Amino acid sequence: MTSDKQPLNGTQIIGRPRLVDIILTLVLPGLGHLVRGYWEKALLFFSVLSVLGVTLAMAVAKHRLAWLAGSSDYWFSTVMMFLLLALIWTVALVDLYKTIRKATEAEHYVVGYWDMATRRFSKDAKGIIGLLLIGLILHVALFAPFFASGHNFEDVEGYVKPRIHAIKMDLYNFQAPPSGDHPLGTDNFGRDVLDRLIFGTRVALGIGFVATMLNMFLGGFLGLIGGYFRGPTDAVLMRILEVINSIPFLVLALLVRGLWQGGGIVSLMLILGIFGLAPARIIRSEVLSVREQDYVLAARAIGAPTGRIILKYVLPNALASLIVVTTMSIGVNIIVVAGLSFLGFGVPPPTPSWGAMLQEAQEYMRTAWWMAVYPGLAIVLTVFGFNILGDSLRDVLDPRLK
Amino acid sequence: MLGYTLRRLLQVVFTIFALTVLVFLLLKLMPGDPAVVMAGIGAELAVIEGIREELGLNRPWPVQYWRFISGLFNGRLQAMTYHKPVWDVILQRLPATIELGLFALIISLTIAIPAGILSAIYRNSVLDYTVTTIALTGISIPVFWFALMLMLVFGVILRILPVSGRGTSVALFGIQQLRVSFVTWDGFRHLIIPAVALASVQMAMNARLTRASMLEVLKQDYVNTARAKGLRERVVLLKHAFRNALAPVVTNVGMQVGTLIAGAVLTETTTAWPGIGRLMVEAISRRDQAVVFGLALFIAVFFQLSYLLVDLLYAYIDPRITYD
Repeated sequence: MTSDKQPLNGTQIIGRPRLVDIILTLVLPGLGHLVRGYWEKALLFFSVLSVLGVTLAMAVAKHRLAWLAGSSDYWFSTVMMFLLLALIWTVALVDLYKTIRKATEAEHYVVGYWDMATRRFSKDAKGIIGLLLIGLILHVALFAPFFASGHNFEDVEGYVKPRIHAIKMDLYNFQAPPSGDHPLGTDNFGRDVLDRLIFGTRVALGIGFVATMLNMFLGGFLGLIGGYFRGPTDAVLMRILEVINSIPFLVLALLVRGLWQGGGIVSLMLILGIFGLAPARIIRSEVLSVREQDYVLAARAIGAPTGRIILKYVLPNALASLIVVTTMSIGVNIIVVAGLSFLGFGVPPPTPSWGAMLQEAQEYMRTAWWMAVYPGLAIVLTVFGFNILGDSLRDVLDPRLK
Repeated sequence: MLGYTLRRLLQVVFTIFALTVLVFLLLKLMPGDPAVVMAGIGAELAVIEGIREELGLNRPWPVQYWRFISGLFNGRLQAMTYHKPVWDVILQRLPATIELGLFALIISLTIAIPAGILSAIYRNSVLDYTVTTIALTGISIPVFWFALMLMLVFGVILRILPVSGRGTSVALFGIQQLRVSFVTWDGFRHLIIPAVALASVQMAMNARLTRASMLEVLKQDYVNTARAKGLRERVVLLKHAFRNALAPVVTNVGMQVGTLIAGAVLTETTTAWPGIGRLMVEAISRRDQAVVFGLALFIAVFFQLSYLLVDLLYAYIDPRITYD
């Protein structure tokens, strides 16, 4: 099977990076790419590295080594920083290896669906902007304490559980307008609005991601099962979906959340994750058409077990729509969480969530406009990022739609 | 067609039944005793017991469920905290929401459809990019924040529009259920901010949909045929393309009822518009089980029927579609 993929000259060594490539990459990810002439990828690695480097340098300069003093917020960010750096090194090595292999085996290399999709994506400005936007927001979320102002960290020592509640109240600075000290002003408790926004990215993205992953697994699973087995299984699943969909999602979430007052962030994630089953319907309809394809029939004919057919033949072909729906769902979930928090049924108060910030701002519209403007902008920017990325992914992954 | 309609109706009835059971279970399993809430702080045990007896809260669950359902249908179910029947509470708030929803719909369609069409005709032009970007931003803006911003700009800074409430309203023909506010100048001014805010998301969605649908139609053979016949471009676009592109847009308006209701909950709460969306939030906060139950049922029925209507309308608008 591998014989037709081997290089014509028969050598095994060709298609592997030389030692010098590996050493260069270990020294600095991207350097190996640069030497080999893949300057675009080298640039990508360099820019990601420099962003992380600047963040780290900023954190060190600002708070010196304060994060070693025991704040769990800092620990999280520091660990994430090192994980990300390790990831970059690994990705650079693996990618260099693959790129070189592909180049030397060019005439045998079959350009697949995902290669085409990647190529189309790299030419789609909309998708790139979306990705950059989300990357930026994710970056802020991961390294929130590095970006936050110094106001909150004077009493880091002995402050055992600061996490995202760390934004200090300062009643002498009640509703201070934007200034050098507080770039986006302070709220009705004198808390820095920018700091709350920065920590709010953690809350918004955290809930958005977890809830959407639940949606994806649960909805994807139900959709796969329903679409593949059809018959009574499908009928039962569809009826369940209809009941859940018989009332607008926000109203349902409001009902569950409002009647079971006092829930925290985890229960919010669970509610959104379980009831937001939008992926199920879309995956189901995709699977319904995929299962009729000849390759599925062929797999069945050679006696492949059902689980294998679903996972190896059906799922990969329904994956594109799952990815698109999931990307869009993150945005929807973030808006729903903001809406629930705005109504007072979302993220409980001391936690800085964008929706709750807007709820507080509503009372002080006449005196503190900055409290109302910026959290909304944060929501719009984030959701916009996911929406254009989703839009672009749909164009890229499903060329039929274009 | 009749068979299909009946089947769908049956399905709707089943779905709504299941939903009411779900909501009922939520109400029963929720922490806190409504009798205690109603009796108020420091009430005597006998009073609480009396309320419990009166509301049938110590009866078995199926009996309570039946009380809720039958009470809603014969209109005698009393709201727990509003001191009148649930229906009266809902009907009193309904006209405000319908007025708001209709205005939002009108605003969104009058802007979205022309924008979508122009954007499709001049594909990949500056105009197209502007429209698609605005539309994409539009679906990313939370309605309640948009309402807040409108209030900030027009109410607080420019001081040309009132920031909240419904203003003066008039009962048409003396019927309380037809109380509208847009006929008075004051009421109309109050209506603008919530209606525009609520329309924003719809507008963005409809513009995108119109554009996509129009692009799809422009690719069709009959459009080429019409052009080949030498018809003027305007006739081709308006008579041949537009009319066919409109069908999915119109039917989609029905699908958006859900977004509209969800948007109304947020917009009404933000702008203090006295509709059923705000009532929902209010009833949940007051833990008024009867009103919450009634509203959930009402919203579900409304939502499901509009879905059904749209399904049937689709077959009527586009004769190529047949059910069964």
